Amino acid sequence: MQLADLPSRRSEAWKWSDLRAAMAGQEGVVTGTAPIDAEGPISALAQAMDDAYGPSALDIVAPGETFETRITEGDAAQYGSVIVRAGATATLVERAGVSGSRLRPFLPSFSRIEVEPGATLHRIVVQTNDVGTGQADAAIVLNEAVVKLGQGATFRQFVLGEGAKLARIEISVDAVEGAQVELNGVYLASAKRHIDMTSRVAHRGPGIQSRQLVRGVARKGGRGVFQGKFLVERAGQKTDAEMAHNALLLEEGAEVFSKPELEIYADDVACAHGNTAGQLDEDAVFYLRQRGIPDVEARALITRAFVMEAVPEWVGVDLYAEIEQRIDTWLGTRA
Amino acid sequence: MLELNNLHARVVPEDGAAREILKGLSLAVPAGEVHAIMGPNGSGKSTLSYVLTGKHGYEVTGGSATFEGQDLLTLEPEARAALGLFLSFQYPIEIAGVPVMTFVRTAMNAQRKTRGEPEVSAPDFLKLSKIAAAKLRIDPEMLKRPLNVGFSGGEKKRLEIYQMLMIEPRFMILDETDSGLDIDALKVVAEGVNALRGPTRGMLVITHYQRLLDYIKPDRVHVLSAGRIVKSGGPELALELEKSGYDQFLKAG
Repeated sequence: MQLADLPSRRSEAWKWSDLRAAMAGQEGVVTGTAPIDAEGPISALAQAMDDAYGPSALDIVAPGETFETRITEGDAAQYGSVIVRAGATATLVERAGVSGSRLRPFLPSFSRIEVEPGATLHRIVVQTNDVGTGQADAAIVLNEAVVKLGQGATFRQFVLGEGAKLARIEISVDAVEGAQVELNGVYLASAKRHIDMTSRVAHRGPGIQSRQLVRGVARKGGRGVFQGKFLVERAGQKTDAEMAHNALLLEEGAEVFSKPELEIYADDVACAHGNTAGQLDEDAVFYLRQRGIPDVEARALITRAFVMEAVPEWVGVDLYAEIEQRIDTWLGTRA
Repeated sequence: MLELNNLHARVVPEDGAAREILKGLSLAVPAGEVHAIMGPNGSGKSTLSYVLTGKHGYEVTGGSATFEGQDLLTLEPEARAALGLFLSFQYPIEIAGVPVMTFVRTAMNAQRKTRGEPEVSAPDFLKLSKIAAAKLRIDPEMLKRPLNVGFSGGEKKRLEIYQMLMIEPRFMILDETDSGLDIDALKVVAEGVNALRGPTRGMLVITHYQRLLDYIKPDRVHVLSAGRIVKSGGPELALELEKSGYDQFLKAG
């Protein structure tokens, strides 16, 4: 593979996240990678890195417990598969953290997930980036999951994304009869951070319920990208789907790009989507200040409440507190 | 306590030309008194409440406003609040994701911090909240819900007074608190407001109608017209206005 084989802004799916431009300087990785196949560029890159740096961390067959994987700092990768057996329940926590000493951290991850009939998988992706370190600015984080759901299976996902030079958390879900899907996320884009949340849910059978709520905030020089697609095939009768993406641009010079898409071929469905990007409501800020809450705290309080609405309780007490803490730190309300 | 002297102010919309609303307003509310401001739509009643509390988009172009001798106009809204200024909003704002009690406790502690006082303890806060809610006949469950989200107009007004009872401000501005209230709710709200009357507190009751003043009895009544006080008197002035309308004063103004 050559740099020129990677998708650039000319490719529709990557138009706001120019992978080719971002990977300049990582030629060593790129040229050592096999050609891009049908699974796409993230798969190819993660596989190459995984082969180079050790065994895959994700070849697990869940008997009903919590698995945690972690890729941090320097060059590390994941390439593997997860199968949750029929009727089982499992939780998968994936961490991609940038804070270490490597010059140009590159953290690709690709997973193929199968949730068998009646099984439940909760997946939590925590992509952190400790602001203030030079290498954090140069990091590239790619995480893609391809999920196949059996009949009546449940898949819930929550992603926290703090961005990097380029960070893309991508998911594609294939759902059949009676499946339940939840894809929530929060992104926090500060200066020099790019965070892309791309998703696609294919409703291939009847009676599927899907919910998506992504909330994002961006500061000056930060960029958020949301691309969400719900495809309802002819067989997807009685689909009940709701997609929402709401972003707050906290400062002049913040950027958010979004593309919500519904593609529906069944005639008896309930599909809704909402997409907003705006600024903090100054009347609300004034209301809080009139009650004695200082300006900075008033803004943080409203912003925090706005993003926390997308954090589900099912992540569990510990992770909920951790996510809350990351958000507060980002907003500057906790040291 | 509150003294306004020849106050001029304009509203500066984000898009559009500035308009002068207050044109030389003078008013003094001594401690212990309740003054009513009455006037027709567009006379500057709400502008006055926003100018005093420091809302963005309102610009003072002349005159002065002092609270216990201190210049209010140079202070940030939160500093005015910490001094003891409280506005019961005509249209209370909805804040998604912030439960009423969390919000009120944050506000109380922020004010205390500014004044160098210790935070309110959790048991004390709950005790105060219980008393205030009972006084205003507010369902305690409502206080766990996000502030004003999905509340009726009357519930929002009750919650304004609940916040007032909790914060115990020294000077209260009630902006059209009677709008959206039926007669029973009005009585409950007025009882709550009256509970805060006292020799060290002052109050400005802004209203379009005399009705509220049956329950919150003012010491003085002022008629605001075209940005100025055109007539002042005792409580009987409110009754006179109810009978013969504002027209007589508009001509005079």
